[in-house]
Amino acid sequence: MTKEEKPVPLTKLPDVCVRCATCMAACPVSRVTPRFPGPKQAGPGAQRFRSAAEASVDDWIDLCTGCRLCDTVCPAGVPISEMNMMAKAKYLDERGRTFRDWLLVRSDLFGEMAARYSKIVNPLLKKKVVRWLLDALLRIDRRRALPAYEHPTFRRWFRTRQAPKGGGPEVAYFYGCFTNTNETDVGKAAVEILEAHGLKVVVPPQRCCGIPRLGVGDLRRAREMGRRNVDFLLRTVRGLDIVFSSTSCGLMLRHEYGPLLHLPGAEELARRLFDICEYLLGLHEEGKPAATFQPIPLKAAYFAPCHLRSLDIGLPALELLRRVPGLDVSLVEAECCGLGGLYGFKKEKFAIAEEIGKDLTEAIARMKPDIILTDCEGCRMQIRHLTGLKVLHPVQLLRDALERQGEEIHRVPVESFNYLG
Amino acid sequence: MKRFDLIVIGTGLAGLTAARTAIGMGAKVLIVGRGMGALTLFGNTVDLLGEIPPDTEMEEGISRWIASHPEHPYARTGWEGIESAIAAFQELFPPPYNFAAAGRGNSLLPTGAGTMRPTWLIPVTMAAGAAMTPAETLIVGFRGFKDFQGDTVSLHMKCRGVTLPLPRYGLEGLTAPALARLMDETSFRERLGEAIRQQMAGERFIGLPAVLGLRDPAAVLKTLETITGARVFEIPMLPPSIPGTRIFHRFREELIAKGATFRMGHPVSGAVVKDGRCEGIRIDNPPLVAEYRADRFILATGRFLGGGLWAEMERIIEPVFDIPVFQPGERGQWFGERFFEPEAHPIHRAGVVTDADLRPVDTLGRVVLANLRAAGSILAHHQAIEEKSREGIDIATGFLAAKKALAL
Repeated sequence: MTKEEKPVPLTKLPDVCVRCATCMAACPVSRVTPRFPGPKQAGPGAQRFRSAAEASVDDWIDLCTGCRLCDTVCPAGVPISEMNMMAKAKYLDERGRTFRDWLLVRSDLFGEMAARYSKIVNPLLKKKVVRWLLDALLRIDRRRALPAYEHPTFRRWFRTRQAPKGGGPEVAYFYGCFTNTNETDVGKAAVEILEAHGLKVVVPPQRCCGIPRLGVGDLRRAREMGRRNVDFLLRTVRGLDIVFSSTSCGLMLRHEYGPLLHLPGAEELARRLFDICEYLLGLHEEGKPAATFQPIPLKAAYFAPCHLRSLDIGLPALELLRRVPGLDVSLVEAECCGLGGLYGFKKEKFAIAEEIGKDLTEAIARMKPDIILTDCEGCRMQIRHLTGLKVLHPVQLLRDALERQGEEIHRVPVESFNYLG
Repeated sequence: MKRFDLIVIGTGLAGLTAARTAIGMGAKVLIVGRGMGALTLFGNTVDLLGEIPPDTEMEEGISRWIASHPEHPYARTGWEGIESAIAAFQELFPPPYNFAAAGRGNSLLPTGAGTMRPTWLIPVTMAAGAAMTPAETLIVGFRGFKDFQGDTVSLHMKCRGVTLPLPRYGLEGLTAPALARLMDETSFRERLGEAIRQQMAGERFIGLPAVLGLRDPAAVLKTLETITGARVFEIPMLPPSIPGTRIFHRFREELIAKGATFRMGHPVSGAVVKDGRCEGIRIDNPPLVAEYRADRFILATGRFLGGGLWAEMERIIEPVFDIPVFQPGERGQWFGERFFEPEAHPIHRAGVVTDADLRPVDTLGRVVLANLRAAGSILAHHQAIEEKSREGIDIATGFLAAKKALAL
């Protein structure tokens, strides 16, 4: 990082905070543990005492999950989560990061390999002794199911498939690492639903968005990864819109590359990036060619991920799902699933993630749904782990609801989701 | 670009009320808030006009008030407007967690400062507070819970007070939302009820900080009353307000279920104005600016804390539309000598002046933007803090603004 590219220091902003404590009503972490003082104290409160010249004393800063809910409720516009992130970066830069964290944030690098050898890797990751070793040596909690790898990857599937003939306007798709190697059906459903709306899908070269690096406060590497992606994707957006199906990848690409990481070209990229449901809903509302849905008589619960709330685009998935006849869909009244990406896999944070998730589990239990739908892979993992119920991305259900001439309904192979655990 | 029938700016009680009223009239609504609104700050009970003495009937008191305050927001809604808006609010909170008036006039409720405060609608979890007498009441605080000083409250109210350790180890230093969440757990509140029961010396009333659960406060109340055999009431305290959070959640749940689009977390940075009408608003979400179009707009952004009014060095402005603001004189005249004066600080007279339809007007009384209305505390000529009229103004003008906006 050169000197002039350094993120702008936030020295003046803490005084914008009027200490109203609204953020304390939203923080999922301080609601379950007194070990984290909450966004008011950890963000602007402590910020007033922080100095670049002095060593960080924020021993609890790593307990912030980075959900960003505090930002969404603050009436004064204080960038609370960004302050926490900067403080976390400084703390971990000084104290060092563990080998586990080094490994976990590189899942994009070994994911392709793990997918290729999934027949060996998956049973291995299921083995008690392996989990015990990971737990004891790396402090990856053995009670947390590890996602299975899938072969072929989404990328390979897309490259080798028989693309439908015919033209139509093009749209690009950012699938994200998890879809590529662990939940390929989300990617397939995204492609199918876009095509059903008369679009031709292209998949540009892309890398991990880098958000796992932000989770461990590694701004420098997050920036490096972002720079590579901007290079790839700028070429695409100079002609096409890009849709994403992972709300966390989308948040990173759209709102962190520019304002937080100051990557050149980020704004141009952001202008043509859309959440897939936001994009599809737009087609429906603007009267553009859109797919029609056939009835799906199910009771569904839709959960709005924290990073979707941070994108601040309303609840487009819920609005789209309401267009499926027969689908009885309602919003889960809970604030956060608790997983926090890699956070909930870490042994020292597992209990916090579980406790936060309890509220969601209870809200779902009251609703008694047949199926749960949510846009974020982390939330899907956590809700499966907590409830044992079927959890899908909204596009998977929409894909199943597509009206197709002379074709049997293509039911989502829910049972085939081979989650390890 | 998305198009709506109505865009409501502000997620406080006025904005939420306007959005819900419009949804009820079949409109396609977008509600946007820079943050969560002021319900987590002040929301507890519903004040109409605390200034009226408790032995005066509310309708009579407000009608007299309107007669002597022709510029007050209540003069726009009238008593009938207040009554129907309040009734609609009450419908949103069916029993067991309902809001009701304890008498025909104001009731006095204990506060977290140990004072008695007049108010109108009371949630069921605070109702017993209106009936308590000091000699028969036990005030319970929690050790390590900084936002409620039980000793101070009981001292000022001349009640007996106790500070209890929480019935689970390692919870000291918890916040109000954390305590409220624990109260939703049956076993937790049963143990707490038992601990309180052991401290009782024949009291018939028990006052606790307002943390009796977020999800099912009426159930928390019932458990505690069953175990202690006394009537239990919540006492409003410092922000974040749990009762206010309940109100916010209930509105949001209802709005989303009925199809409103809810945006929260980014400020409206400007408006698209053409030929005396507002055509759209812009929302800043860096690096993007989103534009939304609608036929009608309601401005319910509050006063200074909510960001609806902004004090420059010599002038008070309204930052979204830059519409005229009633000025409380020069800066030297904005504030009284002391912070806690019985009279309102002149700065609190600032606000947006409207016509009878709640459309903002300039100093000559001309409508500024034909399809814009203002609601809630941003309106001029009220002193919500001193009058104790905040929620009444929010609910009554939010309701009226939506009715008028969609009447066309």
